Amino acid sequence: MKEVPVKIHHNNEWIVVKLGIGEDRIAIPAPVSKEILFKTVADIAEKKNVLIITVKTDAETVYKILSVEKVLQVLKKLILGSCNAYRLMAYFMSPAIRGGVMIKDAQWDKGSVVVVRSGIWFASATKQICVPVNDVAAIELTKRDVQGKPTDVIRIDHLESGEVSSSLVLCPLSTLQVLYNYLKDTTKSMDMKGTELDGIDQQVAMLVYSGMDSHAIENMLNIPHKQLDAVYDKILNLGLGEVVTIRREIQLTTKGVRYISDATKSQTN
Amino acid sequence: MGKILIVDDTLFMRTLLKNILFSGGHTIAGEAGDGEEGIAKYKELKPDLVTMDIVMPKLNGIEALKAIKEFDPAARIVMCTAVGQEQMVKLAIKSGAKGYIIKPFQAPKVLEEVKNVLAS
Repeated sequence: MKEVPVKIHHNNEWIVVKLGIGEDRIAIPAPVSKEILFKTVADIAEKKNVLIITVKTDAETVYKILSVEKVLQVLKKLILGSCNAYRLMAYFMSPAIRGGVMIKDAQWDKGSVVVVRSGIWFASATKQICVPVNDVAAIELTKRDVQGKPTDVIRIDHLESGEVSSSLVLCPLSTLQVLYNYLKDTTKSMDMKGTELDGIDQQVAMLVYSGMDSHAIENMLNIPHKQLDAVYDKILNLGLGEVVTIRREIQLTTKGVRYISDATKSQTN
Repeated sequence: MGKILIVDDTLFMRTLLKNILFSGGHTIAGEAGDGEEGIAKYKELKPDLVTMDIVMPKLNGIEALKAIKEFDPAARIVMCTAVGQEQMVKLAIKSGAKGYIIKPFQAPKVLEEVKNVLAS
């Protein structure tokens, strides 16, 4: 086993340990004293430089490992290759589109797609990219030009640092259909009927998506603030948006009116 | 910063693009609601860049792109296509489009693409 220094979250604090990394397991020394077989890993997620591993034996235990990217990359590669997940060999391109603009130098990577409880991982020899299930905006079977031929691919739209990105998965059609169904099932909590928003609501949502603020939306759609507020409420109640800033409208008190009147007088004198 | 012509059959999309481009410091040279009008406005206004929708009445965006490129081979045209019409992008690129954006789009990325194409 190779040993690498990492920090492990234990008893509400980060402790430095020398983590043993083997081909099918990791060994966390005292005070944790635990050996984790990769095949018992039920979920793996990453937040910044922290790898969150859920191990399921008799009960579920969550381990948080903090380290440098190089170490985490080795861990991710090993765990994703053997953990308890839906896994298939595929070509992937992630991201292929960012904010509606195709990434010109995006390449197909040969590797695997690993679907765990909390996310979809694209893993190759050199990179491991995670799309958390909660960030998946859409999954679609579509066609993409591959080596001059229109080819069936799965497009996964996801949020990435506030931007909407799309990743593509390519594999034989029969496998693609199975993967598509599996992904749709994994993310079905996000599914909606599509009739929840009417015409103007959809236009507002589209403008929010494009980055317009409330002032711009009111001007573009020529709607009063109260109407926009009602649409925002609808969007918020459906869980389709979240409040970023609250714009306040105020009126002056008597004290304020007096202040402004005095200020005006002093300017005109 | 450039002088931009927006060609799209929906007022909503034209207004959205106008706002995005304006916020990026660009000037809106004009707007057109179909391919034919787009060609006429290009010849009249000589913009630095055109954003061109693909699916439009009268003359579609690909045909309008070809006509503009015939008139001015140096024309910079960014195609706007809806999700699911990515196949059209290849045809547009073959026909001389300099860039493409996929609807729905996000303002910063549109501005980035326009900046890249204007610099090309």
